[in-house]
Amino acid sequence: MIRYNRNVKEGLTGYLFIAPQFLLFLIFVVYPIVEGLRLSLYKVQYRTETFVGFDNYAALFGDPVFFKAVWNTVIFVVAIVLLTVAFSFFVGSAVFDKNAKYVSFIRGSYYIPVMVSMVVMSMVWSFLLNPANGLISYMAREMEMSTVNLLGNKSTVLPVVIFVTFATNVGQAIILYIAAMIGVPKDLFEAAEVDGAGRLHVICHILLPLVKPTTIYITIINIIAVLKIFVVIQLLTGGGPNNASVTLMYYLYNNAFKYNQLGVASAVGVIMFLLTLLLSVPQLKAMFNDK
Amino acid sequence: MRQEKAKKRESFDIASNTVVLLFALLNLFPLYWLFSSSVKNSSDVIKMPPDWWPRTFTWSNYADVFTNQPALRWTLNSLYVAGLSTALLIVTSSMAAYAFSKLRFKGRSVFFIVFISSLMIPKEVMIVPLFRISQDLGLVNSVYGMIWPNVATAFGVFLLKGFFDTAPDALREAARIDGAGEVRTFLQIMLPIVKPGIGALFILNFVQVWNDYLWQLVIGQNKESKTLMVGIATLMQDLNPNFAYKMAGATVAAIPMLLIFILFQRYFTRGISIGAVKE
Repeated sequence: MIRYNRNVKEGLTGYLFIAPQFLLFLIFVVYPIVEGLRLSLYKVQYRTETFVGFDNYAALFGDPVFFKAVWNTVIFVVAIVLLTVAFSFFVGSAVFDKNAKYVSFIRGSYYIPVMVSMVVMSMVWSFLLNPANGLISYMAREMEMSTVNLLGNKSTVLPVVIFVTFATNVGQAIILYIAAMIGVPKDLFEAAEVDGAGRLHVICHILLPLVKPTTIYITIINIIAVLKIFVVIQLLTGGGPNNASVTLMYYLYNNAFKYNQLGVASAVGVIMFLLTLLLSVPQLKAMFNDK
Repeated sequence: MRQEKAKKRESFDIASNTVVLLFALLNLFPLYWLFSSSVKNSSDVIKMPPDWWPRTFTWSNYADVFTNQPALRWTLNSLYVAGLSTALLIVTSSMAAYAFSKLRFKGRSVFFIVFISSLMIPKEVMIVPLFRISQDLGLVNSVYGMIWPNVATAFGVFLLKGFFDTAPDALREAARIDGAGEVRTFLQIMLPIVKPGIGALFILNFVQVWNDYLWQLVIGQNKESKTLMVGIATLMQDLNPNFAYKMAGATVAAIPMLLIFILFQRYFTRGISIGAVKE
């Protein structure tokens, strides 16, 4: 009897302890998802809603700008994630066994742009790339290169956005890799060295497989971060020139808050939601297998 | 032969570290350009060829940012939003994480799986319904509209549960035998044990909310309710053609986080890695 009471009491306490977080979760996470699914099937004009079935999705698939946004988002995800993983692994493997001061200097200098945020970095880059009086445009002119307006040119705007986003955000991946590599037991390297293996061999055949969980983690968080890429588009390119750099998140934002197409915007949101859910499955699986 | 190999290894190592160092400096250059441009006057800043080191030194751009724009108000808004979101998140998620880790109740693992599944979904994809809810709750143009959705994230539960899991159950038993109730056990025995986790959560979430640009852009529509990042970004559309003024604004937005990073670098690197390792 006493034991029974204790269990009931502990159960009740459990619910009470998760209640505040769970309530917020219901209001600001679960409800928006359900409501978003619903809205994507409606035509919304201010407060009047008319059911239109899959019309919003049909509208999306009839809009070339939407396809441009999907395509650009895919290019950004693939290019930025590959660059980030490759470069951060390279940096990590080069510095992880050096002295602590040097490691923290490298970590710091790559992480500072992350800290000062994409907003600030986008502003600086937009000044650097400004065709009239930006430093990079000036140097391009000095070197007699023909294209000076890198952001106004359809074929250069994507590489510029890729580079700026990569350079600003790579610091986080570097910190993760360095931490993981420092955690690898030293005797593994020593054993390889005794066998006469070169550093490159050690990095590729010992370090790379051992930090695989970190590689997966970095890949997934970066895919999801780039999927919602917005700030750099809004502040650096405005989606231009002529929609050449529009992304899904930017397209969603414009539909929702500029063109007042809330139903269409919700449909974009649903598509992005399903994408992120799909992409996070491997990570979630790994997390639950851990338990 | 052995020596030759060692030498070759050295040169590969030196080459890659040179590249790493070079890129690190290159990566810092835009920030140098930001700071140095912000203290130039309006004509020097666009001079070609440029002054690599500012010839004239003026603080007037900074004065302009604070007099033409409610930049101080924006800064306070940002501090309030990031600080209060984080404090609330620590309260609610430490309670929930403790329950998930130590208390037995029906449906515990189901609740936990539901929570964790939302971990990777950015709130931005549901920005339309989220905005409408905020409208209904009267949270538009209010700092609380920026705060609540950030407290609703499952990230804190996820991170802190890993810490509670490492705390021995024996401690809880001992506290109970001593007659401590569940609340007291939680506050006085368990919370102190997960302090490092709370520290990591504080830093990670503070920065995350500080840079929560898109949501704050949508919620803070009038000038007074904007946060620092959103407010400063409006300078880009400002008619004022003075680039030094815009760079001063961007510097103002950069400095608080730079200070935090320099002061707490150790906690940062630890916090970020903890977030990844405690899977």
